[in-house]
Amino acid sequence: MKNIKQILLIIVLIMSAWNCSEKSSNEVVVYTTVDQIFSDPILKDFEQETGIKIKALFDTEETKSTGVLNRLIAEKDNPQCDVFWSGDPVRAIILKNKGITIPYNSPAASDIDDNFKDKEFHWIGFSARARVLIYNTNLLKSEDVPNSIFDLIKEKYKGQVAIANPLFGTTSFHFASWFSSLNDETAKQLLTDLKTNKILIATSNGDVKKRVVQGEIACGLTDTDDAFVAKNEGAPVDYVFLDQDDLGNLIIPNTLSLIKESPNSENGKKLIDYLLSRETEAKLAISCAQMPLHKGVQVPVSIPSLDNILPMKIDYNLTAKKLEEIQTFLKSWIEEN
Amino acid sequence: MKKTIYIITIFAFLFLVIFPLLTMVVSSFFKNGNFTLEHYLYVLNKGTLFLLLKSIGLAFAVALIATLIGGFFAFTLTKTNLPMKNIFKLIFLIPLFISPYIIAVSWVDFFIMFGNGKLFIYSPFGVIFILSLIFSPLSMIIISSSLANLSARFEEAGLMMTTNFKIITKIVLPLIKPAIISSFILVFVLSISEFSVPAFLSVNVFTTEIFTQFSAFYNYDLAVANSIVLIFICVSLLLAERYYLADAPFLSMSLKSHKVKLIELKRSKYFLIFIHFSYLSLSVIIPVLVLSIQSFQGNEAIFGKAFSLLSVNIINSVFYSFTGAIFLLFFGFVFAYISEREKIKSINLVLLITFGIPSTVLGIGLIKFFNTPILNFIYSGYWIIVIGYLGRFIFIAEKLISNTIKQIPLSFEESAKLMGASFFLRIKKVLFPLISDGLFGAFLISFIFCLGELGTTILVYPPGTSVMPIKVYTIMANAPQSLTSAMSLIVLLITLIALIFLFTGHKILTKQKWSLD
Repeated sequence: MKNIKQILLIIVLIMSAWNCSEKSSNEVVVYTTVDQIFSDPILKDFEQETGIKIKALFDTEETKSTGVLNRLIAEKDNPQCDVFWSGDPVRAIILKNKGITIPYNSPAASDIDDNFKDKEFHWIGFSARARVLIYNTNLLKSEDVPNSIFDLIKEKYKGQVAIANPLFGTTSFHFASWFSSLNDETAKQLLTDLKTNKILIATSNGDVKKRVVQGEIACGLTDTDDAFVAKNEGAPVDYVFLDQDDLGNLIIPNTLSLIKESPNSENGKKLIDYLLSRETEAKLAISCAQMPLHKGVQVPVSIPSLDNILPMKIDYNLTAKKLEEIQTFLKSWIEEN
Repeated sequence: MKKTIYIITIFAFLFLVIFPLLTMVVSSFFKNGNFTLEHYLYVLNKGTLFLLLKSIGLAFAVALIATLIGGFFAFTLTKTNLPMKNIFKLIFLIPLFISPYIIAVSWVDFFIMFGNGKLFIYSPFGVIFILSLIFSPLSMIIISSSLANLSARFEEAGLMMTTNFKIITKIVLPLIKPAIISSFILVFVLSISEFSVPAFLSVNVFTTEIFTQFSAFYNYDLAVANSIVLIFICVSLLLAERYYLADAPFLSMSLKSHKVKLIELKRSKYFLIFIHFSYLSLSVIIPVLVLSIQSFQGNEAIFGKAFSLLSVNIINSVFYSFTGAIFLLFFGFVFAYISEREKIKSINLVLLITFGIPSTVLGIGLIKFFNTPILNFIYSGYWIIVIGYLGRFIFIAEKLISNTIKQIPLSFEESAKLMGASFFLRIKKVLFPLISDGLFGAFLISFIFCLGELGTTILVYPPGTSVMPIKVYTIMANAPQSLTSAMSLIVLLITLIALIFLFTGHKILTKQKWSLD
């Protein structure tokens, strides 16, 4: 019994020490929805270059990258996080609307187009992804590849197109962008026609990519990073930007937000400045084909550039508001047979 | 002294788990500061009720199939002289060590590789198929423990009168009926609360509805109201079971105080070995093979990379799970003792409610309760992960221990009391030696569950740290398939190594030969 008591005492002491051992005043806490495989190397570079310890928290595809956002909302009254690095503007806008972020106009973003920034600087965009159509080159010849979202409702693509669940992630924003750039009636008709054409609803963008790569389906809507990674891995796939004649292709910037009453806000600002730099954009271009928003950032030829793409003209804040309005409709759209 | 321990333990549990959950439940009855039943009435709409019925149907099918499969193998591996049965027993447990999501991914990949069966796997039948494979080992453990506890004298008496078949149907089955029903109920509760497999297979069920309310609409109150409905169903089942079975064991670990009667297999053993190998192919070999094939499709350095990504998390994971299992053992023992010896059975209901609460609700409840300036020392460290484990698995730990205690006659402790032994001395010298196997089993199962926990941990783990399942999942997005498959295999290997260490430790401490009986 005496031995057991001693062992228990030692365990409690070790546990207490463990619990307190990793506290540091020169640190910054960042929550990110950007895939760890791309965001982690950038954060490590920041740590190495500045000496400020990074404490990062990543999201998972299994929870459709909503774990971090749920946590930020739940932590509102006693924030633990300094910087929120989001893979899209929607989540940053949700946090702004819930009063969780504060404005920070980083000097590092002075030459980024105002369209990619919140008017009150609650979020600033950088390194953009685009929504693209990924297709299996064994199943679709290049001349048969759809050019427009409206091509996807044609009979010849019946049961051949996949999208991720539109209640989550960038797909939800993509759907909202149709409502925001077309009108409600046209967008609803488009969705009805897509459903009639037996569009397949996958669990995530990664799942869309996987199904196209495996040849389970001919093509699908996903993000540039998914398509780029699949192509780089040697899968029989390629991707195209849609609606380059008229509507334009949806561009989705990463966003950075400073959390209200965060514990290390000064270090948070340093991290935001670092992430908004040209160097970070160049690194993200190489690792996952993200398109720089700064002018003149050197990137490999294989990386798409915003100079060569017709972007969809939308107001990100209004589109996020639209998303809130259409969510119930989207839920019933998914559930209908 | 005894009462002081009860009070401290109960208050600690109330503070650590029940209060955080209560904050969530209470808020679901309010909207803009006013009392309302709106969130609960929402569940009564046609669509939600349909999903609820669908979930009940799926869980019923899984519970039935898993109990039949688990029961069959429990019988052949406990009551017959089948060759290699201890090896079979160990391998059969493997699906419990792999995350259900990873198993679902590998089965889908298997069907895609063979170009067939897509319609099957992406359907409710696919969900039933995968969940049955995952939960059958649990049924096997529960039923085989009960079979191992059957005294040979019942069957020997029967053999003097009739055939083996009649003994099984007229003696064995009635005696293990409580274990069969318990297995059915536990698998039902686990299946109806499972989210990751139906979500991955695009099958909309009640838990995916709860997730949507949480993560797309950020409507926590409605999500909690839906969860309460789910808990209501689980509690009703438990009450029905109690009414039906009175005081029969729910889950039990074996106590080898008597001989087990074995059926001598003759020619049929070859056929049975074939059946066992066939089932192993389905439940273990195919998923592990798919993961292995995918891993080796990467370059030869993929396992090195996978290991280096996981290496910093291995010690954390094992340490947190070990700590979690110790806490579960302590709380589980005290609650089991209160339930069995003081006959305060209502404690089981409270624990079942914590078990039925979805992991996300528990996670959000823990954040809201502990993330305050005063309690920040708990929230910002790893203690919050251990508390999450406690909330998630205390029901299982308590059930395992209480059924072990149930098998020890109270008269043993009473005799010691008459001799003047104090409460602690009675526990130490009488009860612990008799239930040490059961305690070890409860510790082992708690450890395995903690090691694979994801739902609550993902919401509360401190920034800058991680544990193995979270690392696999956060790396999964956009990493090559070969890397995530290699990581899953390494996690499986580490779980097996940790189990071997624990078994060896137990063997040294108790100086016994360990067996899986």
